[in-house]
Amino acid sequence: MTDKTISKVPGLSRRSLLKAGFAAGAVAGTAGAARAAGDPLITEIQDWNRYLGDGVQSRPYGMPSEFEADVVRRDVEWLTASTESSVNFTPLHDLDGIITPNGLCFERHHGGIAEINPADHRLMINGLVDTPLVFTMEDLKRFPRENRVYFLECAANSGMEWRGSQLNGCQYTHGMVHCVMYTGVPLKLILEEAGLKTNAKWVMPEGADASAMTRSIPMEKALDDCLVAFKMNGEALRPEQGYPLRLVVPGWEGNMWVKWLRRIEVGDEPWHQREETSKYTDLLENGKARRFTWVMDPKSVITSPSPQAPISHGKGPMVISGVAWSGNGRIKRVDVSLDGGRNWKTARLDGPSLSKAMHRFYLDIDWDGSDMLIQSRAMDEHGFFQPTKNELRAARGENSIYHNNGIQTWYVKADGMVENVEVS
Amino acid sequence: MSKFLKALSLGTLIATLPLLAATAHAGDAQKGEKVFKKCAACHAVGEGAKNKVGPELNDVFGRTAGSLGDYKYSKAMIEAGNGGLVWDEATLTTYLTKPRDMVKGTKMAFAGLKKQDDLENVIAYLATYSSAAAPADQQGAAEPAAEEAAAGETETASADTSAAAHAAPVSETRDGGVLGLGRVATDDEVAAWNIDIRPDGTGLPEGSGTVAEGEVLFTDNCAVCHGDFGEGVGRWPVLAGGQDTLTEERPEKTIGSYWPYLSTVYDYVRRAMPYGNARSLSDDDVYALTAYLLYLNDLVDDEDFELSKDNFLEIRLPNEENFIADTRAEEPHYAAKAEPCMSNCKDSAVEITMRARILDVTPGSVDDDDASGMGSVD
Ligand code: HEC
Ligand code: HEC
Repeated sequence: MTDKTISKVPGLSRRSLLKAGFAAGAVAGTAGAARAAGDPLITEIQDWNRYLGDGVQSRPYGMPSEFEADVVRRDVEWLTASTESSVNFTPLHDLDGIITPNGLCFERHHGGIAEINPADHRLMINGLVDTPLVFTMEDLKRFPRENRVYFLECAANSGMEWRGSQLNGCQYTHGMVHCVMYTGVPLKLILEEAGLKTNAKWVMPEGADASAMTRSIPMEKALDDCLVAFKMNGEALRPEQGYPLRLVVPGWEGNMWVKWLRRIEVGDEPWHQREETSKYTDLLENGKARRFTWVMDPKSVITSPSPQAPISHGKGPMVISGVAWSGNGRIKRVDVSLDGGRNWKTARLDGPSLSKAMHRFYLDIDWDGSDMLIQSRAMDEHGFFQPTKNELRAARGENSIYHNNGIQTWYVKADGMVENVEVS
Repeated sequence: MSKFLKALSLGTLIATLPLLAATAHAGDAQKGEKVFKKCAACHAVGEGAKNKVGPELNDVFGRTAGSLGDYKYSKAMIEAGNGGLVWDEATLTTYLTKPRDMVKGTKMAFAGLKKQDDLENVIAYLATYSSAAAPADQQGAAEPAAEEAAAGETETASADTSAAAHAAPVSETRDGGVLGLGRVATDDEVAAWNIDIRPDGTGLPEGSGTVAEGEVLFTDNCAVCHGDFGEGVGRWPVLAGGQDTLTEERPEKTIGSYWPYLSTVYDYVRRAMPYGNARSLSDDDVYALTAYLLYLNDLVDDEDFELSKDNFLEIRLPNEENFIADTRAEEPHYAAKAEPCMSNCKDSAVEITMRARILDVTPGSVDDDDASGMGSVD
């Protein structure tokens, strides 16, 4: 494998490269010789087996092993004019299970990362309420709170793929999604504290950052399952995710989950803010545009093998692994095809199955070493199936940017390398 | 830290204070890093810094104004450099106080830093990335070690006091509500944050502004990114034009071609623009800029046109009628809710119709140097 092919596959994990190299050369040559004497990693005493390692407190905040240094978020420079209004992507191909580690959750900012001392943070409730209120972080932590696992997906996830396959890697094609456990106060309790007027029909969360992000949310959703969260995966929100406070709007597009949440206005009509008119509206082929397309449709992607996670061994047993999610609720089933959608097998869902959370699926196969066109197709508990990309294009055209949940195809070649393709 | 050490470094701190005060280099680079956030939308500094809207600022001390080969300066800045302008503490102070007063015609759309502290601190911060900033440093270098120690200690000391000052207000309960948490917001507090405007005009402030006034403001504050005519510089957003392109292969969505409501323009510019210096425009400024954006989009044609709270609702944007409700559930693939095919679902063998590699715009791919793909995230 030359350097050229390596760099052809961005974010290709070093571990799989090492393994790939091992499979290609080492096994046949040196490992054969080693078999007689034995693997030196076993027959010889290793440093880590003899000398003491670092003591406790050498890593007051533990970080991943140095051998995991390439498991990072990545961005696509040509997409945006400035990194302060831009996006990077979760390395889905390197992850397993259903929880995204806090430091790997993709970022999308509109005015950079606001750095706010929680002592200086305030949450205001105003508008159609009996008593406009101001809360400190301390106040909010005195409300009853809940723990919930939810996925968050940017409406523009896979948005670069409307006109055809473009980016090589599920990090880039599907990495604007993450799933963590939030700790927070039900928005309902905070609204009830201020007292809703009878004509209160909408709420508008607002961020404290340099974009002062705003979105209109209908009251039914606000009172249903929204959370005002201050923790993710047990620790404080990361600054990139809105520290010290963010809104959680389960199953709905990520832009509505306002970060650095400082205000919630209550009103009787939507506000038609920039992020629900100029942006986050879906332009159709006939020139009409859908607005208030909040729910994220059922979607899935195979994370391994994928372009950044090629197959590092020869034929034989292997695991096809991926994630699925739906803004409507639980994932009920995921089907996997190895032949570009001609025939399908139902995959095995593993791990907790939680409403509006990521689900992990596996298909354990015996690979015969030949080319494959692998796809996955999710179905949620309400019977909605993930459509093909062509079905979506037929209904909407190619200019929607948002809500592309079409079935993804990876072309797996005999040498184990994988490419993003579209099929007939 | 032991008591002994604490006493010792406090002693050094006090001993060094007069020395610090005596140096010309009063700025605090660490505080300057914060101030630099005001510049960061347009400038980068530090390892690997590249030109953005403005030139990168490594080694700016000793740099002749307008002299970076790979950055396109305004004529004014190049002339200033030819006239002998070299950046140092004094010239930077003058420039950053009021850029346009010093270099008339500079394209740096930045009003200037008003606070003396901010000026000194940001200049001290830039000095840490300039090797030629040494002369200024040396004046204060008599006791470099002591100064450093003192600086370190001041930092912790002030961190301590600010932590005290920042201690969260004690959470108290009040009468009323369900749990009695939070306190009543004052009218002034609500007014400070409640600046949103609805299409029916709710929230519009008193005030007015003309197209002509807006043009001046736009050239000074917006054109570096959005272009003189709102055409967008590089990948910065386009604000005008694109009429009748919504059904074309490459639609151009602008205020004139796509946005449904004018209220959104006023609301957004007031809350978020100019990018990197939000909330710096007066209500009249925003009326003037909104009027100018109408003019750039051919929606008004008179430079004397004045937009105000009173005539705001008379203006309708042309694309208002073309927004519809979410009809995804009616699309055939969802509406059917049919059990999908599991075997022999396609007649013939499946063919590859498109490959990502053809475009090769993935970051890190061999020849992605100038690669630029299609589409956007917003
Ligand atoms: C809105 C964008 C913007 C902001 C904000 C901004 N600048 Fe600039 N700056 C520019 C541009 C554009 C130029 C080039 C000016 C020209 O060619 O006339 C420039 C030029 C400069 C130069 C001259 C560099 C040279 O090579 O001659 C310095 C120094 C500078 N800026 C410092 C700052 C500092 C410090 C701040 C923050 C306090 C700041 N700028 C804020 C856009 C900006
Ligand atoms: C330093 C570059 C810069 C400057 C200067 C700037 N803008 Fe912007 N503008 C942006 C960016 C970046 C965005 C998109 C922000 C985001 O992603 O949320 C934007 C978005 C906008 C939009 C919304 C565009 C759309 O299609 O949704 C408007 C309107 C706008 N700016 C007006 C202005 C006005 C008026 C000014 C001057 C007062 C100004 N801008 C100054 C960078 C700039």
